[in-house]
Amino acid sequence: MNEFALGFSVAALFKGVVVTLLVTTGASLVAVALGLAVGLVRVSTLAPLRWLAVAYIEFFRGTSMLVQLYWWFFVLPIFGLSLSPWTVAIVGVGMNVSGYGAELVRAAIQSVDRGQYEASTALNFPRLTMMRRIIVPQAIRGMLPPWGNLLIELLKGTSLIFFITITELTTASKLAADATGNYLLFFAIALFGYYVIARAMITPLVRWLERRFSRGFIREAVA
Amino acid sequence: MSDPMVRFENVTKSYGALTVLDQLNLDIERNEKVSIIGPSGSGKTTVLRMLMTLERINDGVIWVDGEPLTHMDRNGTMVKASERHLRRVRGKIGMVFQHFNLFPHMTALQNCIEAPVSVLGLSRAEAEARAAELLDMVGLGDKKGHFPIQMSGGQKQRVAIARALAMRPKVMLFDEVTSALDPELVGEVLNVIRQLGAEHDLTMLMVTHQMGFAKEFSDRVCFFYGGKIAEQGPPDKLFNDPDNDRTRQFLSAVLEAG
Ligand SMILES: Nc1ncnc2c1ncn2[C@@H]1O[C@H](COP(=O)(O)OP(=O)(O)OP(=O)(O)O)[C@@H](O)[C@H]1O
Ligand SMILES: [Mg+2]
Repeated sequence: MNEFALGFSVAALFKGVVVTLLVTTGASLVAVALGLAVGLVRVSTLAPLRWLAVAYIEFFRGTSMLVQLYWWFFVLPIFGLSLSPWTVAIVGVGMNVSGYGAELVRAAIQSVDRGQYEASTALNFPRLTMMRRIIVPQAIRGMLPPWGNLLIELLKGTSLIFFITITELTTASKLAADATGNYLLFFAIALFGYYVIARAMITPLVRWLERRFSRGFIREAVA
Repeated sequence: MSDPMVRFENVTKSYGALTVLDQLNLDIERNEKVSIIGPSGSGKTTVLRMLMTLERINDGVIWVDGEPLTHMDRNGTMVKASERHLRRVRGKIGMVFQHFNLFPHMTALQNCIEAPVSVLGLSRAEAEARAAELLDMVGLGDKKGHFPIQMSGGQKQRVAIARALAMRPKVMLFDEVTSALDPELVGEVLNVIRQLGAEHDLTMLMVTHQMGFAKEFSDRVCFFYGGKIAEQGPPDKLFNDPDNDRTRQFLSAVLEAG
């Protein structure tokens, strides 16, 4: 194995890891923010707002993420809107995942006990205050595990941004493997790379949030 | 003569083809304590839920404190109440539920502060002082920092009563508030209700299976059967010398069951 090729490949690989981390973080923030917002609109009492949310969810969940990225990157410029690869990666991946996120936000909100809505009505809460103070804080607890899964999916999905010219972890591994001929080593690194990122970042974050939001639900947690 | 505190005027409620309440007429005077008894499915809970605006009514009008709850006046005609109108009139009513429905993510004190602060606009200090006073009154002064999961059923129900009272309602609704409790915890909740009746200006409407309590506590008992009031009157009369055969059958069945 050529030492120069190896050194070059390792440096490129490291850069690929950083790119994957940055895009995953950015896209996750977009996915969570939009997922929460659209999920809340999805359970609004105003039908036209609900329809808008349904259309949003259907579009982002029902069509291919790669084709969506192509649209943002190659089709929007035809209409005069050119976005940088980074913008498309973060916003495009984030919006795609937010379609799934909105659905799990809706499910978590609707799974809060009816009695909580009724007690809130009896105490005369306006609907938005009820959602903010009573319903959503309880729903968050139920939505954290599925959000954890979704963000791990998002992490793995970021390899698609290769198609909009960004060299991330998978691409860097492929390039390194091609340059050195060591496919076993570099694809092993790629395989474990995603696992380690998920295990070291996403899972602990979700666990920590679960503990924070389980106050009042688990005896041990409040003793 | 002043208006009754609550008036059901020809109120009908149905779920699809099933008519649950049929042209109900019922007046409840200020400070009156009224118990509702009757067999399962006779519509007792539905009466309270309609008054709390948890159920829409199909026909008739419900009045609270002299003004319509379910309707409002628009240029001389009665139209369905808007959410804003509902919120204003509903503020006069409080409700305690069979399954407590405390907010699990909040302590006893927070449960009693949340609505006074975010609905009535009280300052936190003011709301906290009032909540502490009410929790003392229901005998839970030492549980303010406890979450619902850390309390017994009887304690939870007393917090729920304090939480409802913190909104200063004029009418309190109780729907089988001791039915989910272990027998030895029933007394502590009934004592709180007794005390409320004696010390506060409150109109109280309660659905109960505690015949002894209904007899001792109520000014009037209404026996529901098949979505109608089959018989009503002072507890002594209704329990000891009912006019209606259905009432007699129901009471003997309940007494037999113990
Ligand atoms: N959401 C609903 N949809 C359809 N039917 C309903 C609904 N809620 C109540 N009912 C029906 O309405 C009738 C009256 O119910 P309600 O809960 O008022 O009875 P209840 O007198 O409180 O009985 P219980 O003593 O068992 O609590 C019952 O036949 C019940 O099945
Ligand atoms: Mg009932």
